[in-house]
Amino acid sequence: MTSPEYTEKDVLQALTDEERALLKRVLEIERSRLHVKAADLTDSLLAAVKEVLP
Amino acid sequence: MKLNTITLRNFRQFAGDQQFELQSDALKPVTLIFGANGAGKTTLLNAFTWALYGSMSDDVEEQHRMVTDCVWRQVPVGSTVDIFVELTFEHEGRGYRLRRKAEVRKESDEQQRFVPEVELWETKPDGSSEEIVAPQERIYSILPQGVSRFFFFNGERIEKLVQKGAYAEVQHDIKVLLDLEQVERALEHLPKVDRKLTADLKRYGGQKASDIQTAIDDLQEEEAKRKEEQKILEGALATLNEEREAVTELLRQHAAAAPLQRARDKARQGLADARLALNQARLDRTSLIASRGFLAFTGALTKTTEEIASALYERGTLPAPIKREFVDQLLEDGLCICGTPLGGSSAAHESVLEWRQRAGLQVVETAWQQLRGQMAPIDGARRELFDSLQAILKRISSETDRVGRFEEEISELDGQLKESRLEGVQELEGKRIELDGRLGVKQQKIGSVKTALDQIQKDIARLTAERSRAEVTDELAAKARTRSDLVNSVRRALDEILAIRSEDMRRRLDAELKTVFGTITIKPYTPRLNEHFELGLFQIIDGVELAVPKSTGENQILSLSFVAAVSKLAREIRTERRAEGPSAEDAGMYPIVMDAAFGSLDQNYQREVSRALAQMAPQLVVLVSKSQGLGHVVGELMPYVSHLGVIVTHTTANGEVGDDIELGGVAHPYVRAEAETDHAELMEVS
Repeated sequence: MTSPEYTEKDVLQALTDEERALLKRVLEIERSRLHVKAADLTDSLLAAVKEVLP
Repeated sequence: MKLNTITLRNFRQFAGDQQFELQSDALKPVTLIFGANGAGKTTLLNAFTWALYGSMSDDVEEQHRMVTDCVWRQVPVGSTVDIFVELTFEHEGRGYRLRRKAEVRKESDEQQRFVPEVELWETKPDGSSEEIVAPQERIYSILPQGVSRFFFFNGERIEKLVQKGAYAEVQHDIKVLLDLEQVERALEHLPKVDRKLTADLKRYGGQKASDIQTAIDDLQEEEAKRKEEQKILEGALATLNEEREAVTELLRQHAAAAPLQRARDKARQGLADARLALNQARLDRTSLIASRGFLAFTGALTKTTEEIASALYERGTLPAPIKREFVDQLLEDGLCICGTPLGGSSAAHESVLEWRQRAGLQVVETAWQQLRGQMAPIDGARRELFDSLQAILKRISSETDRVGRFEEEISELDGQLKESRLEGVQELEGKRIELDGRLGVKQQKIGSVKTALDQIQKDIARLTAERSRAEVTDELAAKARTRSDLVNSVRRALDEILAIRSEDMRRRLDAELKTVFGTITIKPYTPRLNEHFELGLFQIIDGVELAVPKSTGENQILSLSFVAAVSKLAREIRTERRAEGPSAEDAGMYPIVMDAAFGSLDQNYQREVSRALAQMAPQLVVLVSKSQGLGHVVGELMPYVSHLGVIVTHTTANGEVGDDIELGGVAHPYVRAEAETDHAELMEVS
């Protein structure tokens, strides 16, 4: 799955819209709290899941 | 992030208010600021990090003396002094004004530590401005503090970036900069989210779904434990690898020092032999003098003895075994020593009389011959003594020279070997073998954990598929199952993205590093970034790739190349199609502010580094001294310079310490003597 031909773009294309939306949101949340080493983002991520799949 | 201005008020050497423009463009991205030693270049570099994070580098001394000394002295006790550093910059399409400030109350002449406040205002594209409620949080999100090591640094200390022991931290910061860290963190956090979601499935999903979910939960728990175990094992493996590398390095030093050691051992043996020979020669001399030394004084004695003996011989009175007087006495007494009477013309008398004749000349002749016979060898023995003594003295002199030569040689070799940290080779070899053994065990354990994890993941996938087929009638439970499936799909995708990005980033960073390093170095070395993001320098000798022990200068060049490569890649990746979606135009763009950029590099390297620097960052602030910055550096950088500045040193020192700096044919103040106070002045000169 991780051969040189298989790119990040390919991974994204293989996802459904909902999966892609959640993945993007998860990375946004994580990126915004990168400087807090012990950040517990469970609730924020859970909220993101519920946003994508209400 | 693009810097526009820096303003300082009473910050360290910078008395009063001082501002410097930093705005630059792609054609002229460089700001070049000169300053004498101690002028405040390092302080200016630290003003940026203090404004951003409230911290300064460890090499700044007397960190509690934040307010300019002369300002502090002039303020009466009980009054306050303002201090701040203000930065204006742009980031991802928005303007920012950041100010870290303090109002410091003077309690005594000694400055006390204080806690500064930070303020951040954001200007939006529509021109409106608002104060950010959590300014430090925002700054961290713009440029995390760890990552700032790549952009605000001291050239003389930058080599630490590529030294062993710094890998763990550097690797983490690279991951942040290259967007790997957020993926890793998401992979850590999503299982917890899943656990919360599936709690509803267990509660309301019916027996079968609940059982499956319990089994999945158990497996996930086991998976988390195994992953933790793997992390610990990998950490231990890295430590062991470092230890092994240190031992190997010592062994390498041994190998390099081996010829010297052999020479020293040989010289030591030679010295011992020479000392032994010298002692033996001295003993021989002592023994010769003790046994035959008297002969040296017999020269006149034999002559005198011969003369005396000659005279006695002439007179016939040379001492002999039987003296004539003794025989005469026997005849006179008429009694032989054997008791026979010697009367008249007895046979006994005749016999003794005959002895009287014999006791005369023959005996003297014999004694004379004996004495002369003894005289001749004494002269010969004396000459022999002189010859022997001369030979021994020659030996002593020659051995003394030999001892001196060996002592000098050993002293020289000791000096050459002094710097090597040498432990016993055998002990080191033993340690290396032991470490190899321990590394093998750790690798084996990591292998078995990976196998177990593979199996667990397969089991989870199988059970998740079963869970999807299990009948769930409750709406809440069904929703929980769908959400859990979604989370797990995202986890799998993130796993793949992490693997793809890690390899892609490493490969591209490695390629970029090779390119930049290749343009700077004059040596046939090639840098390489391995799969653990560890940096090494190699050389191919006779078709064999060997690690190169890096000098400080090479470490600096490697570090600068590394910074250049990281900086370029951070910009590039944000323009590509990524899971995070499109980025702002200047995303991943950061200025580089460097003090003592040229560290301990020689002139050739200064030129090449200057050339590379001008192309390495979208914005570059270079702080240099006159001795480092004129010549090649100015020649290479000047076409790219948008702002040229001088930190003028004002000193109260008298005498001829004043100095100017000539830039573009114009002289500018560099050091000004006999000032009223000691302080620094930040001055733009173009």
